Amino acid sequence: MTDTVITWNDQEAIVHPAGDVVAALVPELRSALRGAVARGVREMKIDFSGVEMVDSTGLGLLISAHNSMSKAGGKLAVINASQEILDLFRSMRIHQHFSVSPGTAREKHTALETHPVEAQ
Amino acid sequence: MTGNGLLSAPTLAAGGRQTDHEFRAAVPACLDAVEDLLADFRLGLKDVLGSPGYFSAELLLREALTNAVVHGSRCDPVLIVRCAVRANHKRLVIAVEDQGGGFDWRDAREREAEISACSGRGMEIFRKFASRVRFNRRGNGVVIQKFFDEGVDASQ
Repeated sequence: MTDTVITWNDQEAIVHPAGDVVAALVPELRSALRGAVARGVREMKIDFSGVEMVDSTGLGLLISAHNSMSKAGGKLAVINASQEILDLFRSMRIHQHFSVSPGTAREKHTALETHPVEAQ
Repeated sequence: MTGNGLLSAPTLAAGGRQTDHEFRAAVPACLDAVEDLLADFRLGLKDVLGSPGYFSAELLLREALTNAVVHGSRCDPVLIVRCAVRANHKRLVIAVEDQGGGFDWRDAREREAEISACSGRGMEIFRKFASRVRFNRRGNGVVIQKFFDEGVDASQ
């Protein structure tokens, strides 16, 4: 198992989780996200192109990261999510918190999600 | 115990599209063992159920197993969590049981997490993705059913 990879671009961080965003892998991802928040990043994008599954623990982590980013005046977004994960986020109202968007390779199959819903 | 953390090799009885596929396994109550189990489940049933049917199936099984390990067994690897899954293109039945003292599902079943809460979404996933969920009286066993003919994804 590889670790979460973070690429930095000025005030923006793009986080590539090491695998699915699920209970067993949440501690390692939580630690990486905390490190990014502590570094003062203003915009954090979590790249889901390698993520096939998110469970309730993973959803909790994303909400927690969003709360931390908001408190610090920053923004969280999930990018390159699969259609199944977009549907999960929508049914669990996660898209009301932060932007969630499909990947460009997936966009032609996900017409409903081509305009991400911004946080309220 | 097998090399991948399962207590016994998972059994998968495979049938054609119209027939039932069965998956059974027992694991120690730890999350790494759950991942091993789910890797075998994915290997055996992902192509059979297709997407998004498989996504719902894994999500429901994952939530039931995580509940059994974290809440039912307090992550005590001495305790055992067992699961049995039967699936075809129309219906999915998941049974999960742990050796813990059980939890008060009567109190939890209608609870909806606050929109900014960082936990408490497991039961909501059951409600939105499953067709029926039944706990046993003690609260250490659950049977989840999903009917795919309600639409590919019952959550919508």
